[in-house]
Amino acid sequence: MAVCVAVIAKENYPLYIRSTPTENELKFHYMVHTSLDVVDEKISAMGKALVDQRELYLGLLYPTEDYKMFRKLHNSYTDVMCNPFYNPGDRIQSRAFDNMVTSMMIPVC
Amino acid sequence: MSVPDYMQCAEDHQTLLVVVQPVGIVSEENFFRIYKRICSVSQISVRDSQRVLYIRYRHHYPPENNEWGDFQTHRKVVGLITITDCFSAKDWPQTFEKFHVQKEIYGSTLYDSRLFVFGLQGEIAEQARTDVAFYPNYEDCQMVEKRIEDFIESLFIVLESKRLDRATDKSGDKIPLLCVPFEKKDFVGLDTDSRHYKKRCQGRMRKHVGDLCLQAGMLQDSLVHYHMSVELLRSVNDFLWLGAALEGLCSASVIYHYPGGTGGKSGARRFQGSALSAEAANRHRPGALTTSGINPDTSTEIGRAKNCLSPEDIIDKYKEAISYYSKYKNAGVIELEACIKAVRVLAIQKRSMEASEFLQNAVYINLRQLSEEEKIQRYSILSELYELIGFHRKSAFFKRVAAMQCVAPSIAEPGWRACYKLLLETLPGYSLSLDPKDFSRGTHRGWAAVQMRLLHELVYASRRMGNPALSVRHLSFLLQTMLDFLSDQEKKDVTQSLENYTSKCPGTMEPIALPGGLTLPPVPFTKLPIVRHVKLLNLPASLRPHKMKSLLGQNMSTKSPFIYSPIIAHNRGEERSKKIDFQWVQGDVCEVQLMVYNPMPFELRVENMGLLTSGVEFESLPAALSLPAESGLYPVTLVGVPQTTGTITVNGYHTTVFGVFSDCLLDDLPGIKTSGSTVEVIPALPRLQISTSLPRSAHSLQPSSGDEISTNVSVQLYNGESQQLIIKLENIGMEPLEKLEVTSKVLTTKDGISVSGFPLSSPFRQVVRPRVEGKPVNPPESSKAGDCSHVKTLEAVLNFKYSGGPGHTEGYYRNLSLGLHVEVEPSVFFTRVSTLPASSTRQCHLLLDVFNSTEHELTVSTRNSEVLILHAGECQRMAIQVDKFNFESFPESPGEKGQFANPKQLEEERREARGLEIHSKLGIRWRIPSLKRSGEASVEGLLNQLVLEHLQLAPLQWDVLVDGQPCDREVAAACQVGNPVRLEVRLTNRSPRSVGPFALTVVPFQDHQNGVHNYDLHDTVSFVGSSTFYLDAVQPSSQSACLGALLFLYTGDFFLHIRFHEDSTSKELPPSWFCLPSVHVRAVEVQA
Repeated sequence: MAVCVAVIAKENYPLYIRSTPTENELKFHYMVHTSLDVVDEKISAMGKALVDQRELYLGLLYPTEDYKMFRKLHNSYTDVMCNPFYNPGDRIQSRAFDNMVTSMMIPVC
Repeated sequence: MSVPDYMQCAEDHQTLLVVVQPVGIVSEENFFRIYKRICSVSQISVRDSQRVLYIRYRHHYPPENNEWGDFQTHRKVVGLITITDCFSAKDWPQTFEKFHVQKEIYGSTLYDSRLFVFGLQGEIAEQARTDVAFYPNYEDCQMVEKRIEDFIESLFIVLESKRLDRATDKSGDKIPLLCVPFEKKDFVGLDTDSRHYKKRCQGRMRKHVGDLCLQAGMLQDSLVHYHMSVELLRSVNDFLWLGAALEGLCSASVIYHYPGGTGGKSGARRFQGSALSAEAANRHRPGALTTSGINPDTSTEIGRAKNCLSPEDIIDKYKEAISYYSKYKNAGVIELEACIKAVRVLAIQKRSMEASEFLQNAVYINLRQLSEEEKIQRYSILSELYELIGFHRKSAFFKRVAAMQCVAPSIAEPGWRACYKLLLETLPGYSLSLDPKDFSRGTHRGWAAVQMRLLHELVYASRRMGNPALSVRHLSFLLQTMLDFLSDQEKKDVTQSLENYTSKCPGTMEPIALPGGLTLPPVPFTKLPIVRHVKLLNLPASLRPHKMKSLLGQNMSTKSPFIYSPIIAHNRGEERSKKIDFQWVQGDVCEVQLMVYNPMPFELRVENMGLLTSGVEFESLPAALSLPAESGLYPVTLVGVPQTTGTITVNGYHTTVFGVFSDCLLDDLPGIKTSGSTVEVIPALPRLQISTSLPRSAHSLQPSSGDEISTNVSVQLYNGESQQLIIKLENIGMEPLEKLEVTSKVLTTKDGISVSGFPLSSPFRQVVRPRVEGKPVNPPESSKAGDCSHVKTLEAVLNFKYSGGPGHTEGYYRNLSLGLHVEVEPSVFFTRVSTLPASSTRQCHLLLDVFNSTEHELTVSTRNSEVLILHAGECQRMAIQVDKFNFESFPESPGEKGQFANPKQLEEERREARGLEIHSKLGIRWRIPSLKRSGEASVEGLLNQLVLEHLQLAPLQWDVLVDGQPCDREVAAACQVGNPVRLEVRLTNRSPRSVGPFALTVVPFQDHQNGVHNYDLHDTVSFVGSSTFYLDAVQPSSQSACLGALLFLYTGDFFLHIRFHEDSTSKELPPSWFCLPSVHVRAVEVQA
């Protein structure tokens, strides 16, 4: 189960962000925003190391996450990008994507 | 120990801590002046060796931290410098006493101390003391630095002795157990003779010696000692001290590897001596070793390279040390500082991820309940460290937390200024600049949620700081840049608070300079309202200036002798793209149309909206508008008056929205459509206003007319009716009217109506009253077709071309057009026309079938006949006796007509002229008594060739005179019986050729009025001379006459029939030319 799912554009702004406890959304915004430092770092490290460019999964920010979750999310994101009516850089408003995120947020048990 | 030094870095381990403090009352200014000078002596090369001493000065140091001096010697206060004011010898003992009290505080650890006395002079000051220095004042103290150097050297001597003392402790002697404050109670009653205990003592002492070596500038020695200490302590699981030994090892290695230092700011200063420190330490190691007196075997066994940790090992060892520290709650500060030191090292190594782990750990170290100030310091330093490792967002996050901490509710005096300053520093971390231009291009790309939050906080902080202008600026920025992300409620709230602020302090376009050197650029509200389209409007057609044709050629050809040149064409094209090809006129109101829309969910009031222009002095007339909530595109016209001439450029517009003044430049607006913004302003021209006696009509002329009509009048008329129109022109401009030219133009109408010209009068008066007469005439086809009830329209344009003032000298004029729209309803028609000969050859009867097509009773009258009454739809025949027309006299009269070479046209002209002539002769008028309207009716159109011929006078005009009296009447010419009557036949030739000669025979007869003509009158009438007359050939336009005489023998009525001899008549001439009047003669008795 995920608490917050965010898709961030390469210019570092959210294309999509959703969190389950809706009352303190800003907290998650801050959390995701600050964690981008780590993402930046990982990406720049990747460039140096010349690792397999096809591997898009950067790793864990926190050790509780699920690798499969990323695949699912990324596949759905790819679908969004394939939509000819979607403007790259716009906020994601796809219902399918939204449903997928919701399914990720529902407790597994 | 509970107060962490967040500024600590690894190389601080090699420094000696000296506290500099004031005693008594010393002004802060003076103290820090001296303190600064003292601080400049931060490293000293010891005289007799190549070693370098580093000094760390503190003006404040908590004594409890001093208690940890055995654990890490750089925490130990080894020197004390006190600064005091003393102005009289009397105070001296007291001052000196205070110095001693101060010494007591750090007494246990001090190696040496100094007292600097300022102000005291006299014999006390004369005495030479090592621990006290006297200076007359704060200016006159050049020797301070020298004194400090001496002082440090004395510290070095103590340090060196201590180091040697500790290092040479014989293994036989009992090594004291060094411990940290909180351990003391744990060791009570411990077996001091156990091997374990001894090892622990040894290990700790080794570590201590390592510290001393490091401080004394013997890096390699310290490494050796640390290594040994680590071995010893690891075996006895003395974790706290093992951690310290490891950290010592790390510190020494860092100093070795990074001579530039890890502390950032102080690094540069250290750098100068650093090369020396690493190099010197290496070079002089053998000597150092011998003087150190350490067991030689250890140092030879462990090679230099081995001793020093590799950069990777440093981090591992730091990790290990920290993990040991973390076992002790009381060592929180040590752990925290170790983390910070490790982070600095990692920052140098550019290993951000690992650094962040250390920092993360540091964040979770809970010391005790921190004071608010300490919290601020903690967050600030975390922010700085994150910045150091390149984690800008995290840095910004902590800085923001620090800022919030400055104004925490628990603080009695919230530091809004500090909060604001810190918040400003977070801006880059949130990728937020305060320049709205960065947001104007394209859609907003940023983390709106967090940026908005920050802006709100900036607004609030600046308000609490008591700087409303700043709050307004930030709030404006928020509204302008984050508009797309604000919910409807937020939009309302933000604007509400903005209005509250601006009611006290209106928003301006001035940049606001902040104390920190940052400048807040102005925030124009380009989205309130959003402008989509800007269009400069031409003047209304009636005010549009036109260039005189004669002057047009001038400005075109002067530039180049070539008719076409690609270069010029290119330039022109470029100019044209910006410049609009119409002109504005100085002094006249000009308009710019903007298409705007309101993105707000409520009504938007825009005040003081006007134009920003350049190039020409322009008086903008601001408008106020109110846009409904989320309006669609809404046209707004901004007006202004150019005061001078030249080229004007519309750069943008200004508004006041929610109390904020904005200057919005078109260049900065994204997605705006403009069709050029530069226009030429020409000199002032007069301005005419037109008013007419007829009401204006909304009816506009057919679009195909081409002219732009400013005013239209429309009138409904019956066919043949006339209407007088009075036009009043008034110059409402500032310039005199110097020239006025009036022309008229009838537009061809679909129905083929023709109109007689407009007679216009007196065009050179300021106010002219031309009389316009629209006289539509029956079209010929209407007599045939059945569409006589059809209403026809007639359109005409009156043009007033005028000029004056400076515009006139420049060759401009204006054109005012009045459109006339006439609806013509049919009145009377002549359905048939025919002629009957009259009794006189000079006359004939015209028979007209008149049809009343109106719905009213109508009377028709001619010039000299009676009135005919026609009911609606009635048709009657009327007969008019008319004199025949002599058409030949006028067709050539209008000289220009001669131009028409085409004989057909000529014929047409002639025909028309005849029609007019007939029309005016007849003077047929109709009247509708019920409507009190009247008009003319014309037969022009329906006169066919036959009728025309009948109406025409023959070109050969024959006159018969009896007794000298012309005789062409019903009335009989009277003559006396027995007297000869003179008979004269006169021929006037009006034809263009010569005619004749002719032979005429006069045949008298009597009409018995019963159809019997008696020609046998030989007995009653006798000719004097011949009955046959001869006329010679007659030249064109000349006359000829022949005379004869008759003698009536009896009374009676006689008629004379004049006949042409068959052979004498020219065959080619039409018979109607030889129409002679019949002569009626009444012969009476002579009255005696």
